[in-house]
Amino acid sequence: MLTLDGVHAGYTAVPVLNGVSIKVEEGQFVAIVGPNGAGKTTIFRTISGTLKPRAGRIAFEGLDLADVPADRRPHLGIAHVPEGRQVFASLSVFENLELGAYTEAGRRDWKRNLDAILGWFPRLAERRSQLAGTLSGGEQQMLAIGRGLASSPRLLMLDEPSMGLAPTVADFIFERLLEIRKETKLTILLVEQRVAEALESADHGYVLEAGRVVLEGPNSALRANDRVRQAYLGM
Amino acid sequence: MTAQAIENVLQALVAGLLVGAIYGLMCVGLALIFGVMRVINFAQGDFMMLGMYGAFYVFAALTAVLGVSGGLTPYAAILLTGPLLFIFGYAIHALLISRVSGAGAAKLDGDGHYAQLILTLGIALIIQNGALIAFGSQLISVRTSLSASAWTLPIGEEIMLFINQARGVAAIVSVAVMVALTLLIARSMLGKALRASADNPEAATYMGIDVARSHRLAFGMGVGITAVAGGLLATTLPFQPFVGLDYVIVMYAGVVLGGMGSIGGAFLGGMTIGLVQQLSTLILPTQLQNTAIFVVFLAIVFFRPQGFFGRVSERT
Repeated sequence: MLTLDGVHAGYTAVPVLNGVSIKVEEGQFVAIVGPNGAGKTTIFRTISGTLKPRAGRIAFEGLDLADVPADRRPHLGIAHVPEGRQVFASLSVFENLELGAYTEAGRRDWKRNLDAILGWFPRLAERRSQLAGTLSGGEQQMLAIGRGLASSPRLLMLDEPSMGLAPTVADFIFERLLEIRKETKLTILLVEQRVAEALESADHGYVLEAGRVVLEGPNSALRANDRVRQAYLGM
Repeated sequence: MTAQAIENVLQALVAGLLVGAIYGLMCVGLALIFGVMRVINFAQGDFMMLGMYGAFYVFAALTAVLGVSGGLTPYAAILLTGPLLFIFGYAIHALLISRVSGAGAAKLDGDGHYAQLILTLGIALIIQNGALIAFGSQLISVRTSLSASAWTLPIGEEIMLFINQARGVAAIVSVAVMVALTLLIARSMLGKALRASADNPEAATYMGIDVARSHRLAFGMGVGITAVAGGLLATTLPFQPFVGLDYVIVMYAGVVLGGMGSIGGAFLGGMTIGLVQQLSTLILPTQLQNTAIFVVFLAIVFFRPQGFFGRVSERT
């Protein structure tokens, strides 16, 4: 469904990604893990088009994304739930969800999606007319995920959904993600510093270090890998 | 207080509300550009002046083609001028402003604000002098038969208020346009996309919103709205190509008074300026009208720098 082939990218002269190749198959839950500054968020930026890769190819469902502007990519079915949530703080919770449904598919499925989203995150229903900026961090994360789901995505990309959240809240978010995936068979690409949870939830994983994929494989193999156990799982 | 004094105060209050309604709409146009999209635009007064000439010539065309000139025809001309100036503003943004704002400002100093200042000052000079060449320097106005008649409003035995019909209708049209715009911004998907683009451009892109187009639309709407306000003002105020200079200052004061980023606040900010201006004539010579505006402006900026309706966190 999504392939990155030898992607190089960066913001300044210093490269952040040095030839990253990643594959996400339809229906898969793929996790990209690695330390701070490894380039995880940069990968997401190149996929959603807010950063142009310097070299390499990104294709979504066989379509080369090089000539697709960033604001058209959500309409293809790519939903990006960005790092730090980035909800529209001055808009209401409900308006945030409506903007999630800005895509053609999202408008078509709006009623059904809204019911499902409020079912998974009842807290959003309680706070629907509140300004998003006044929500707690966990609620904002729920809203960011709900907003992504409202676009009726084919691929949901989540950038550090646990960032800055209390462990119990982060656990709740991960549980809900697994439940959403079970119910919808949605393809998910996750970037996460909480390596243990990420590898537990996903079926396939990539370990990214200094802009390169240093390890990849099914989650069971990664979790059994000595290097991963020592460096990330603290075993 | 004598009945005469009370009548003078009430008369000034009514005049302030009526002219304030037009100043309010004028400020709302700038609020879309400066308050919401954060583009410094010193040509806004000259876009307003183009709205005045636009209304004048559309009115003349309507009179010549349709043979109607009475009653409400000038207001139809004024409202038709709005879309014309929207297209003009949209094009100016696409060709020029977009190079120094939004994504185009990424590599410029001060978020592109210095470049915006210089660019829009240049645009202002070109429009002013272009208008001087095209329209001449004599004072003209959009003539409506209503300006010769007044509604009278008796209060009690001794007090009689006069409301000039041209001013009254202009204020009503102004409020109606404001209500329509508020509904558009608050309820429509377009309005929500504009607000999302201003709130968080990166996240808006992730929703599939063309943020550059949102900026063009907001700029065009801001120009069109101020142009309509200009046309309404032109029914009671004779104008010439340099009329914009006085009003660009009124507009910035109104937007800052109302609180940056708030459309409703900008309207009330403009309304406040109209009231202060008219009420000041009771105690000050008319030449000092603008001085009164700035005394009040300074007082409000001093005591409530976020404006009437701005939140502290929204200040830049």
